[in-house]
Amino acid sequence: MSVTKEKNKNGSVVVVGGGIAGVQLSSDLADSGYYVYLVEKTPSIGGIMSQLDKTFPTNDCSMCILAPKLVGVGRNPNIELLTHSEVKEFAGKPGNFKVKVVKHARSVDPDKCTGCGLCTENCPIQYKIQPKEEALQIPEIEDREEIDKIINSYKDLDSPVVQILLDINEKYKYLPEPVLKYISYKMDIPFSEIYRMVTFYKAFSLEPKGKYHFKVCMGTACHVRGAEAVLESIKHGIKDTKKDLFSVETVNCLGVCASGPVIVVNETYYGNMNSKNTAELVKKLIDKENE
Amino acid sequence: MSELKLNSVIAGKKELEEICNKLISKNKNIKKTVSICCGTGCIANNSLEIVNKLQQLLKSRKIDNAEIKILKSGCPGYCEQGPLVKIMPDDILYTKVTPEDAEEIINETIINNKTVERLLFKENGDKTIQKENDIPFYKKQNRILLGLQSKIDYTSLEDYISINGYQAAAKAFSMKPDNIIGEIVDSGLRGRGGAGFPTGRKWEQVKKQDNTPKYIVCNADEGDPGAFMDRAVLEGNPHLIIEGLIIGGYAMGAEKGYVYVRDEYPLAVKNLKKATDAARKVGLLGKNILGSGFNFDIVLYRGAGAFVCGESSALIKSIMGMAGEPKQKIPRNSVKGLWNKPTNINNVETWANVPNIINYGSSWFAEYGNKSSKGTKIFALVGKINNTGLVEVPMGITLREVINDIGGGIPEGKKFKAVQTGGPSGGCLPDEKLDLPIDFDSLDEAGAIMGSGGMIVMDENTCMVDVAKYFTDFNLNESCGKCTSCREGLSRLSEILERIIGGKGKEDDLLLMEELSEYIISTSLCGLGQTAPNPVLSTLRYFKDEYEAHIKEKRCPAKVCKSLISFRINPDKCIGCGKCAKSCPTNAISGEKKHTHVIDPYKCVKCGRCLLECPGKIQAVEKVDTFAEAK
Ligand SMILES: Cc1cc2nc3c(=O)[nH]c(=O)nc-3n(C[C@H](O)[C@H](O)[C@H](O)COP(=O)(O)O)c2cc1C
Ligand code: FES
Ligand code: FES
Repeated sequence: MSVTKEKNKNGSVVVVGGGIAGVQLSSDLADSGYYVYLVEKTPSIGGIMSQLDKTFPTNDCSMCILAPKLVGVGRNPNIELLTHSEVKEFAGKPGNFKVKVVKHARSVDPDKCTGCGLCTENCPIQYKIQPKEEALQIPEIEDREEIDKIINSYKDLDSPVVQILLDINEKYKYLPEPVLKYISYKMDIPFSEIYRMVTFYKAFSLEPKGKYHFKVCMGTACHVRGAEAVLESIKHGIKDTKKDLFSVETVNCLGVCASGPVIVVNETYYGNMNSKNTAELVKKLIDKENE
Repeated sequence: MSELKLNSVIAGKKELEEICNKLISKNKNIKKTVSICCGTGCIANNSLEIVNKLQQLLKSRKIDNAEIKILKSGCPGYCEQGPLVKIMPDDILYTKVTPEDAEEIINETIINNKTVERLLFKENGDKTIQKENDIPFYKKQNRILLGLQSKIDYTSLEDYISINGYQAAAKAFSMKPDNIIGEIVDSGLRGRGGAGFPTGRKWEQVKKQDNTPKYIVCNADEGDPGAFMDRAVLEGNPHLIIEGLIIGGYAMGAEKGYVYVRDEYPLAVKNLKKATDAARKVGLLGKNILGSGFNFDIVLYRGAGAFVCGESSALIKSIMGMAGEPKQKIPRNSVKGLWNKPTNINNVETWANVPNIINYGSSWFAEYGNKSSKGTKIFALVGKINNTGLVEVPMGITLREVINDIGGGIPEGKKFKAVQTGGPSGGCLPDEKLDLPIDFDSLDEAGAIMGSGGMIVMDENTCMVDVAKYFTDFNLNESCGKCTSCREGLSRLSEILERIIGGKGKEDDLLLMEELSEYIISTSLCGLGQTAPNPVLSTLRYFKDEYEAHIKEKRCPAKVCKSLISFRINPDKCIGCGKCAKSCPTNAISGEKKHTHVIDPYKCVKCGRCLLECPGKIQAVEKVDTFAEAK
């Protein structure tokens, strides 16, 4: 690209798009002396990266990388942020472009707003992305009635989602996705929000459990008495079995520390376990299945 | 317990007292009460079966069940010896009872008034002890809360009323709210949930607010692994908590209470539900309680397995149906808590102490304990200790008394190494700190904390680096991930510990850990991060030599860390029976029959099976504390 040496060369640059690339580019340009207009369609800069959890390959948290850059761009006197704006027209040639930008109405005075977020909290209207009823792979009818019953049984509670999910988890021994979608539809709660609960709380599982479900206590009392060896012994024992036969989960303290290490198979408690009697227990269960 | 069914609303204090008196005089007809512990620990050892058997036997013998009362009680504490069966008024405590013993108990003790020697507690394996309070485990305890457990059937409202239940609430209604709070302040009650904040002061804060409605919460999340005192009280005496909440609600002007209980305690949830339903039926919950004009109700809310939800601001978010992430401290919950309304959160045990304080007065309560901490506290004494269970002791008792006298010392004559208090935010204390009085401030100073009451005893076979790693990983897993210093800082801490345990530690790792810990403590958002490095710091303070052995000598003195130990067979002892080889999951052991066997250190996964398989008389398999020696 040849640089034209015209007299009325303009010392400013327009960067279109305020994602991580645009943000990095803007601050690099600003640091090398250009005046930067950063145009972004959405109301805030940051783009997709701000929605990611971790970055490849170092697994660093993405917000930790991004946030300082966003602040830097916001503070840089050489950068003018044009958010909630779109480029409409483009004219001129390298060195001297004329760009027409449409600034959408913000309805908030940007000079006064401190970004406290109270208005979003109190806004009576919320847009939700909801799975459509017909698009739902609605679970069996008989199930649906039961699910409705569970939902109804908590209608007096102000925030019943977790309680409902606990009951569903109890019923199926895991949380099947169609059921979650159904609940989301029924209760008019965004599916993403339900998904967030399910992944935050440890009691929930998105995968079906095996015919024999082992809960291995990893609480402190059990740990100092050798729970690790018990867990390994179970894992070793079920290594070559069919997938739906056994499943293992670790929990923190079942409240029966006196007989630690403790494991629970389905509903039965076994106390004072060690690698020997655990291996024997697993073997007994496998033999029973092979009969 | 039939004729006197509680079905209608109890109109006021007088009627409550009448019912209580009637129940007491009815109970006089009972010749014997058999109370069977049906706490989770004993149920795991088949105690429900014992109850069934006893009931069947009574029926088949046609014994009048107005004379013999069988009750399912909550955990009285001595879980080690469970299932426990207590017979009153003879004051006989049977330990380790099995369903097969039921017949003998009926024939001998119930019908013939004789003691079954075989089932009594045996001190040092021979001398039998009949009375509960003569057993060393119970002797030094002061069981204000736990002592009630074996007196009542755990969900029976009648039983609770017969031990003067709900009279504290009735008394409170005749007092001014400010006087109730004054009483709590004077008693010196401090929160039992961990931080030890004066309860009365917290109540004052909430009372002061004009914003209504107000809420009160009972924190029954009990996330500390290895602690189960809240479980015992919830299961064994739910009405006590309900009464505490009613009094608190009245004093602070809250009409709604929440009990946030963890879902891992199904029995506690069940009993609480039964108890609230029963209380509602007789108007002890609902509108115009005991004719006082005060309305109050309780909502049960089950947690879903997140440790951080025990933290008060996270708990509030969780009750509001969000993911349980903590927020910054200010504004406090007492100003803006649940739905931005003033909210008071207290631990189960804190609430359980309230009715007693109102009933017997603040000065009675303040008699127990020492200068800074009043009353009794329940501890879960677990780990490498002879008498595992719940102990309720006055504050200010020394650790040594609890561990040696009540706990009966370390099993198998091993040496004591450390006691860990305060759960994952606490610290480990060595032998020389055992004369420390147990109170909030002394423990804090020594680098451990009181916490909610977990007390995990460790012997010479526990590796302190491994313990530090265990707690760091626990906190790392439970960190909600909201703030960077906790989430990332703990990951790094865990990596360094992993390195040390794996024998790849560097000399400056210890300094690095100290520095990192300081950062995590000073920059984390909530109590989890602010206390998470405590286990590392306290082990570094008291057990530095163990870290150094791992780093410099590549040796794990306690023979725990897998990369630094190996198994070998002592050729002088091995008789070549082949048991170890047969059980080895990786075929690492070879040798011909009747000849010495050998372990291939490179195939060995150090599971320890061979050690358990080797016949007790031979004991040829040995654990050694370095890897190299095995070669
Ligand atoms: C990470 C974390 C976990 C906690 N877990 C519990 C708990 O399981 N039970 C509890 O009663 N308090 C817990 N707490 C303490 C509570 O935040 C709060 O201090 C307590 O419930 C207040 O009650 P109290 O004044 O009666 O002690 C926890 C605190 C933190 C920081
Ligand atoms: S630590 Fe395992 S049951 Fe408590
Ligand atoms: S559960 Fe029965 S004594 Fe603790």
